[in-house]
Amino acid sequence: MTIAKKLLPYLLAVVASFVAAGIFISLMGFDVFKAYQTILFTSFRTPNGFIQTLLKFIPLTLLALAFTIPLNAGKFNIGGEGQMMAGGIGAAAMGIMFADLPAIILLPLVILGGVVAGALWGLIPAWLLYKFNINEILTTVLFNFVAFFLIDYVCTGPWRDPAAGHPTTVLIGRGGWLPMLVNNPPLHSGIILAILVAIGVYIYTSRTTGGYELVATGANPRAAGVFGINTRRMFVLSLVLGGAIAGLAGAFEVAGNQHRLIEGMQSNFLQLGLIIGLISRGNNGAVPFVAFMIAVLEVGASAMQRTMMIPVEMVFIVEALILLFVLLSDVVRRK
Amino acid sequence: MEDKTILELKNVRKVFGQIVALDSVSFALKRGEIHGLLGGNGAGKTTLMNILYGLYRKDEGEILLRDETVNIQGPRDAIKHGIGMVHQHFLQISNFTVLENIVLGTDIKNKYTMKMDQEAEKVKELCQRFGLNVNLNDMISTLTVGARQKVEILKALYRGVDILILDEPTTNLTPQEVDALFVSLRVMVNDGLSIVFITHKLREVLSVCDRITVLREGKNITTLDRKDASEEVFVRAMVGEKMDIENSIYFATEVRQGFDRTTVEAPKLKLENVNLISQDGIPRLKDLNLEVFGGEIVGIAGVAGNGQRELAEVVTGVVPITNGKKTYMGDDVTSKTNVDLLSSGFSYIPEDRLSDGFLPKATVAQNLILGQHRIKPYSDGRFINWKTVFSESTKYIKEYNIKTNSPGDIGGNLSGGNIQRVMIARAFSSDSQVMVAHNPTRGLDIPSMDFVYQKMLARREAKLATLLISEDLDELMRISDRIAVIFRGQILGVLVRDEFDKYAIGRLMSGITSENQPTEEKNLP
Repeated sequence: MTIAKKLLPYLLAVVASFVAAGIFISLMGFDVFKAYQTILFTSFRTPNGFIQTLLKFIPLTLLALAFTIPLNAGKFNIGGEGQMMAGGIGAAAMGIMFADLPAIILLPLVILGGVVAGALWGLIPAWLLYKFNINEILTTVLFNFVAFFLIDYVCTGPWRDPAAGHPTTVLIGRGGWLPMLVNNPPLHSGIILAILVAIGVYIYTSRTTGGYELVATGANPRAAGVFGINTRRMFVLSLVLGGAIAGLAGAFEVAGNQHRLIEGMQSNFLQLGLIIGLISRGNNGAVPFVAFMIAVLEVGASAMQRTMMIPVEMVFIVEALILLFVLLSDVVRRK
Repeated sequence: MEDKTILELKNVRKVFGQIVALDSVSFALKRGEIHGLLGGNGAGKTTLMNILYGLYRKDEGEILLRDETVNIQGPRDAIKHGIGMVHQHFLQISNFTVLENIVLGTDIKNKYTMKMDQEAEKVKELCQRFGLNVNLNDMISTLTVGARQKVEILKALYRGVDILILDEPTTNLTPQEVDALFVSLRVMVNDGLSIVFITHKLREVLSVCDRITVLREGKNITTLDRKDASEEVFVRAMVGEKMDIENSIYFATEVRQGFDRTTVEAPKLKLENVNLISQDGIPRLKDLNLEVFGGEIVGIAGVAGNGQRELAEVVTGVVPITNGKKTYMGDDVTSKTNVDLLSSGFSYIPEDRLSDGFLPKATVAQNLILGQHRIKPYSDGRFINWKTVFSESTKYIKEYNIKTNSPGDIGGNLSGGNIQRVMIARAFSSDSQVMVAHNPTRGLDIPSMDFVYQKMLARREAKLATLLISEDLDELMRISDRIAVIFRGQILGVLVRDEFDKYAIGRLMSGITSENQPTEEKNLP
């Protein structure tokens, strides 16, 4: 099958969801064309819009990968949010505790702190799965809530910034800040790392022996086990890897954007990550492209709300509809 | 035998997606005959009978029952019309008694007390009349496959059918049970029943059927009286013009020499006092001793579920041995798992291909390298060399006649027979020192089966060891150098090629060793 033929159902799904959402927008009494113009072109009209899009693109790609890597092994990681927050806490902890260290040591420490904390947050459900066969969907979801309270504690505890009105920690050491690629509007260099991670994940799952074992495990764990693949180890590995990548996203938020830990910084990246992962059908190579598309919609949506007073939720509906139509195209093709 | 046609199927056509399963097939059943429906896998035999039994809708064609057009809606409707079917896989409730299974779904006189004396009388009468001896109060789970089949036939007879369809009824029966079944069938047709006997085994139809219809690739090839035709005519009809019957192993008649053990010093694979106790504490293999030499094909015969699967998994290291010793080329590999064994000279064709051997969501190429994905030429240990994988896969697709467009196609789209060919290509392509093949020809048509046999004999020539576990006794006798018979996890006896005797093997399969041998009568029809 040619690429064009493969992309056709996606294109149809996007068009169909825009049409369907357009009906609602016009029923609500807004100008559909102007709304869509705002959604689609805000990202490309101004440098600010484009950089906003890239800043959204980073955590979306990473959180989608945190979902798709375990998905490749047949496991569902719904804990990207908690792992991201854990990563943020880990990064902030490093940045605050060793605030005086020079950048050459502190920056890797901050990033590593995030990755390790995220991996740890993925390891606990993985271990429970490995040892006691506890369903990973349940544990990863529940660990999101643990992370909520943990971040609440950290932001209101000893490291809190008394000057802030919102639960927030003090700034991390200057050396832990990610260098800027563009200063105004600000774009941090995490994007390079994020793209490298996405490429690395793609190469890992599609080219390496370990990646083959991961995919084989997801395709049929029983057969993979019969033919010499340690499937339980692959489950653990995939969840830890997913956690580490979500943790990296948390570290970027701290070291690149906020330079401190803020309650609520996880936004709705988890849900969007799931949507991206599912639209990509678990194909890691497609994830960055879908993530960019969703980032465009997200940035356009806030612009639309600002300029036209159309609720931003309208775009959630569009995103959900795209997913539904993509899934629907599967059913249609099978007929 | 009266010459009255009781049932006729005319120009039946059935299409599944792209595949034409039946192309204008006609079939006529006379009153009081045993009519063999013969053909290889995928010939359409079962599809045709499933249409008659109401399990599938036909796309075109007509069914005439006693000269009237009928439209059968489902199994219940079929039974109402007097048509019963015994499937290859029995539909029985294992913790109900025989009687309860037979009357299940019919009206019982004393509905509220469940006193079934009258029903029991009726079933007993049927048992006696047709020589189907089963104890009505036995629990299904305690019965042998042969007895469970009798229950299935009684179920149909109890419902008063006069046309009985049997789908591959001899699968998993010992030769003695097959003989007894044939006697019962003869009694039934003498009593006025008509029987359709679906099989792919030529010798069976020749010994029991009155008329034989041959199907191939969804088409009628011929219908002949047993008396009017030679074996050769049927062989040709079954396999078509393309196959080279002279050189086939499937139809070979000449005697092949057994393996000469004096030429080899040490076995490639040796099991000594191997025991396996399952997780729930049940012994599955008991003090099992087995040797497979290079250049030898050792067959394992037995009724399904007597430890064959466990034996295969112990040899390949999928499950660890509870106690005992396993030696491979002189090295102790008792504690080695499949992770090591598969990359150091073992290959495996698992019995349950869909669950144990296949990755439906992965591509054909990904499936072909499973188990060898860590070793050359497919991998250098870290990276998979997809270029080599694809070129090798393309080669195997051609050589093993796997019907797919490219190695990149999704495996789940293949048919059962083609999935089996992937299993076979994967196992044979690695030239493994020890191969464990469990029902390797299941789901294959005759030319493909023959191809597998050729490949196995080539392994034999190349001095490689093959352990062939099969439910098909004919297959084992055709190709093995020795046959070991397994019963409840124990090897009850080993026969060498020139001692092969299907009745002797059949006795061992039902657990009768020479010490406690009762006189088994051979009452061939």
